[in-house]
Amino acid sequence: MAVTELGMPGHGHPDGEQIAGSVGPAQRLVPDPVRIVLNWGRRYSLWVFNFGLACCAIEFIAASMARHDFIRLGVIPFAPGPRQADLMVVSGTVTDKMAPAVRRLYEQMPEPKYVISFGACSNSGGPYWDSYSVTKGVDQVVPVDVYVPGCPPRPEALLQGILRLQEKIAGENLAARYPGPAAVRRDSTPTILTRPLVPPATSERERP
Amino acid sequence: MEHSDDWAVQLAHAAGEGAEVGDAFGVPVFDVSAERWVVTLQAARDSGLTFFDWLSAVDELDEGFSVVAHVADQSRHPVLHLLLRTRIPRDAPVLPSATAVYRGAAWHERETHEMFGIGFDGHPALDPLLLPDGFEGHPLRKEFVLAARAAKPWPGAKEPGEGGERTAAPARRRMLPPGVPDPSWGPRPPGDAP
Repeated sequence: MAVTELGMPGHGHPDGEQIAGSVGPAQRLVPDPVRIVLNWGRRYSLWVFNFGLACCAIEFIAASMARHDFIRLGVIPFAPGPRQADLMVVSGTVTDKMAPAVRRLYEQMPEPKYVISFGACSNSGGPYWDSYSVTKGVDQVVPVDVYVPGCPPRPEALLQGILRLQEKIAGENLAARYPGPAAVRRDSTPTILTRPLVPPATSERERP
Repeated sequence: MEHSDDWAVQLAHAAGEGAEVGDAFGVPVFDVSAERWVVTLQAARDSGLTFFDWLSAVDELDEGFSVVAHVADQSRHPVLHLLLRTRIPRDAPVLPSATAVYRGAAWHERETHEMFGIGFDGHPALDPLLLPDGFEGHPLRKEFVLAARAAKPWPGAKEPGEGGERTAAPARRRMLPPGVPDPSWGPRPPGDAP
């Protein structure tokens, strides 16, 4: 499977590799009632980062607007960037050329982080399964917590996906999700998927 | 409207013999030979069709490739649209570059080059534009095999009757999208490799 071939950490995959020690040791020591309270706090303050790649991003925007308004669920769509976000919603067609950027921004998000794959294209490639350029699902690049089906899904489907994710957060144990010693692994970096920056053109041939 | 046919006269003069004027869903199409391609484009530009919209190609199988350019004259009301089309053989898909006439054609020719494998003589830099680094082949040619299904099966039912025993609909003839190879390419069950 491509996930393991690329050395991806996958908390969605029990046998996959894990990024160990990304949450503090206090998470291992807290008693269960405190953990429930902490999870309750985290599930209702999900700062979301919209990786909008195609028409599904419009449905995401519709879900964030007044009629559906997922802020009432505690999802806050004003994260200035991936470094301030808890949740990434990949909405749209992930192409092979875009996949390194998806991976890179996912890596920049602080732990614990969650991914919702929104729409048929980011779930599996969708109608572009036979294409030469479309990635067959964003879960080949980043681990996904909740899949929302549809082409595109209605905003209500995203609300349902958010509720499912919140149930998952409420029941999870971060120490179980991130086992191992508090040593940060750095052998899986986005540079293995990224091509180098293109130097600016210096020759005349770039300026016809 | 007294000069409405100026462009047609000038283009017919530039295109020489063998040029034809057709109609593509309301837009006039001017078929020219590959030798007169740049000259005709220049005549179009000089007769007022200064807006270059796009340039692309069509894979016509055994008949070669059609290269099409869309130009327009925005000073007219309504705007005058014109498609210029030429045909190049499949075994030698080379055409003179239009960048000397319309500078904006440079990126379109780069895209056409990587998607169809058509060379453009005189283009300043025919680098890949959209495809990832190291991509092999020309994906918009009709002989390009879309092998995704051979590597990984579609995760679900495509046709009625494929969804297991629970579906009552009878199986019908398998539809194969264009460009997708037949099931002998794969995916094969484990241990079935030739």
